[in-house]
Amino acid sequence: MKKAYAAALAIMALFGFVKMGFEQQLTEEHRASFFHGAKLNLDMRQQLGQLGFLAALSGFRSVVADLLWFQAHTAWERTEWGRMALLFNNVTALEPRNTMFWDMAAWHMGYNASIAARNNRKQPREALRIKAQREYFKVAEDFLLRGIQNNPDRYKLYDSLANLYRDKFQDHLKASEYFAKAAQFENSPTYEKRMAAYELSYCPDREQEAYEMLVKFYKMGENEHLPTLLTRLKFLQEKLNIPADQRVYNPPDK
Amino acid sequence: MNTLPSKTKHRIFSPSRVSAIAGNTLLELVRLKVFYFLLLFALLIIGTAGFTSVFDFKIQEQFQMLKDMSLGAMSIFTLLLSILATAMMLPKDIEDRTLYTILAKPVPRFEYLMGKLVGVFMLLLVSTLVMSAMFALALYAKQQVVIGESVHGLTPSQVLEVTADIKAHAFTFSLVPGIVAIYLKAALFAALTMLISTFATSSIFTIFIAFTAYFIGSVEGIAREYWYASPTSGQLAKIFLALVALFFPDLQLFNLVDDIVAGNAIPTALFLKTVGLGLAYTGVYSFVAYVIFSFKEL
Amino acid sequence: MATPAISIRNLTKVFPIPFKRERVVAVKNLSLDVEPGQVYGLLGPNGSGKSTTMKIVLGLIPPTAGTTQIFGRDSSMVDSREDVGFLPENPYFYKYLTGYETLLFYGKICGIRGAALRDRAEDLLKLVSLENARDRRLGGYSKGMLQRIGLAQALIQEPRLLVLDEPTAGVDPAGSREIRDLILNFKARGITILLCSHLLGQVQEICDRIGILHRGDLVREGRLEDLISIENQTELILENTSPELLGEIQALVTKSNARIVENRKPQTTLERFFLDVTGGKS
Repeated sequence: MKKAYAAALAIMALFGFVKMGFEQQLTEEHRASFFHGAKLNLDMRQQLGQLGFLAALSGFRSVVADLLWFQAHTAWERTEWGRMALLFNNVTALEPRNTMFWDMAAWHMGYNASIAARNNRKQPREALRIKAQREYFKVAEDFLLRGIQNNPDRYKLYDSLANLYRDKFQDHLKASEYFAKAAQFENSPTYEKRMAAYELSYCPDREQEAYEMLVKFYKMGENEHLPTLLTRLKFLQEKLNIPADQRVYNPPDK
Repeated sequence: MNTLPSKTKHRIFSPSRVSAIAGNTLLELVRLKVFYFLLLFALLIIGTAGFTSVFDFKIQEQFQMLKDMSLGAMSIFTLLLSILATAMMLPKDIEDRTLYTILAKPVPRFEYLMGKLVGVFMLLLVSTLVMSAMFALALYAKQQVVIGESVHGLTPSQVLEVTADIKAHAFTFSLVPGIVAIYLKAALFAALTMLISTFATSSIFTIFIAFTAYFIGSVEGIAREYWYASPTSGQLAKIFLALVALFFPDLQLFNLVDDIVAGNAIPTALFLKTVGLGLAYTGVYSFVAYVIFSFKEL
Repeated sequence: MATPAISIRNLTKVFPIPFKRERVVAVKNLSLDVEPGQVYGLLGPNGSGKSTTMKIVLGLIPPTAGTTQIFGRDSSMVDSREDVGFLPENPYFYKYLTGYETLLFYGKICGIRGAALRDRAEDLLKLVSLENARDRRLGGYSKGMLQRIGLAQALIQEPRLLVLDEPTAGVDPAGSREIRDLILNFKARGITILLCSHLLGQVQEICDRIGILHRGDLVREGRLEDLISIENQTELILENTSPELLGEIQALVTKSNARIVENRKPQTTLERFFLDVTGGKS
């Protein structure tokens, strides 16, 4: 029987040597394909609790993430913004390749928590309320930037960040930049390029560039003659003093 | 009494002997009513589908939670089934002396083990297929409900767009590689549990070691990477990491569903390598189980 | 000379004790033959080496030294078991199978198929009087029924040798008698039987030859009649004798060197008495 155990150990060890290299190679391929970044560290363990940590390690990361997400949802219903942010951090750490979590976390922080902070009657000083609101904008931005770092191959977060810059930071240049990045992906919606042009049209030094982009869209045909495009085109034609005979869009007189 | 046709030469390997043992194993497990757990699975996914629609979750969140819970449950159930069904097999046959009656026939030991394992693999396959069908049905039902709720007041082209978007979140064939990986992980553990039971002293010991191996396998990747990357670790730590990396499977490589549900398609080459790894582990564990069992004094 | 059904030569089996330097010698240099068509009783107290010898003959455990053969084939080889049927002590089988399904299963692993297997299973169920329980799961069988289905599975591939370990252990007298009658039936058909049993009364009724093991040694071996007959005594059973005749016989014996050891009424066996009283039903 000892011979059998010795043979068994030898076979397992030999197979082990061979498979270790293969597994390492496969892990690298996983990373290259999916940018695996989930590293469960001690902080995570304290926040998740022993069972949650163990479950996450044992291949049930997504289930633990969903349970935490549900907790974040209940925290939202109770307007516990601080707790929400903490839970969002844990969820995105567990599932960095799930763009929905980054996107929703940024949306909650940038569009819900920020408004709640702005309207917080417990804070009598308006300046401090505005400061708190802007801090939430920053938190939202941070979620989206980290999300893009983990998912540079997906258009959605670029689009969401562009919307955040436009709506909350009024930073048209950055908004344009990120709409343009989103437009580079094959599966991105067609409006991304248009949105990049619109936002660029609000940037003082980039009006000419924006005008050329909008003219290209106009020349694509009736389908592109959308109200915002026509409005911005008219504005830029006048701002840039485009001669009448060179203007592509001549709005009817009222 | 009728006499049998004249006896044919003994065959060293007989697929029909293996299939007789496999069929008997499957029949016994079915009659043990192990499939009742499928009812539990059905209740779980119906519960999750209903639960997520009660709360104010967005459509994408609802589908994701349903997928995560269902696939997580599938993973747990197949693992439990593989370990528990296999752990009892050999000890029970020895205790009931049924093993002696089988091996006293012209049945080689490796055919006995192979038949037992194939029976468990078939059980796992049927379970996985049934759970997948329930899962697909639940997603389809939810899809239809959500479509019905979402298309009010929309133009025909908007309806098409919204419907396509909702369908993209429901059941897609990109989920299939993840489900295959779940099955492979369970089959791997059935073979590992069989290996443990060839030298274990009791079923409880076998089950305990198998679950411990599962948890260690979940962190094997970390141990392996630390072993490769840390030349300055203490000797004891190095040896420990090496043993974990050498003798335990990296189970994280079989967790494809997390990425698939998040919307990442699995490259075919990566999937095929994962399947190859799973089959290699299952084969090696089965072979080592045979080596130990062939020397076992019954 | 016919090849022996079982041939054991210089068989030794030593079991090491884990974590100790001691060893247990279960069988010591055993040699014996079981001729075809014989019913051979392998007897001995618990721990004498009977089960170990049986398992080695069946290839379930390897010997430490020596050889065992079944009809001239090394019994450690799988093909030697084509000619063997085995009934272990207190078997349980697969309780979720019916009697019929159990026989089909064992037949399939012996390579029997289709109609031949189905017919064989039906015949064996009739032989062991279990045709009425064919579709009942083994979990609902009594001890006696389990032993009988065990005998049936041992016979499924028409073996030339049957190895039976305590075939009537735990079975009531009526059931035990049925099993004994079956064994005699097998013997009449020329099947060689190796029997291990503690029920010496039954062994005495069935066996042609016995071997007695004690602490791994074969202490006695030979034809049953020869072993248990008391050499210098003769038994006469008389019916309808008168007291005068008895007196004459006593006088004759006194004249010679012989002596009357015992003068009493012969007794029936308790088993026969029990069966007569209960009507012989199991």
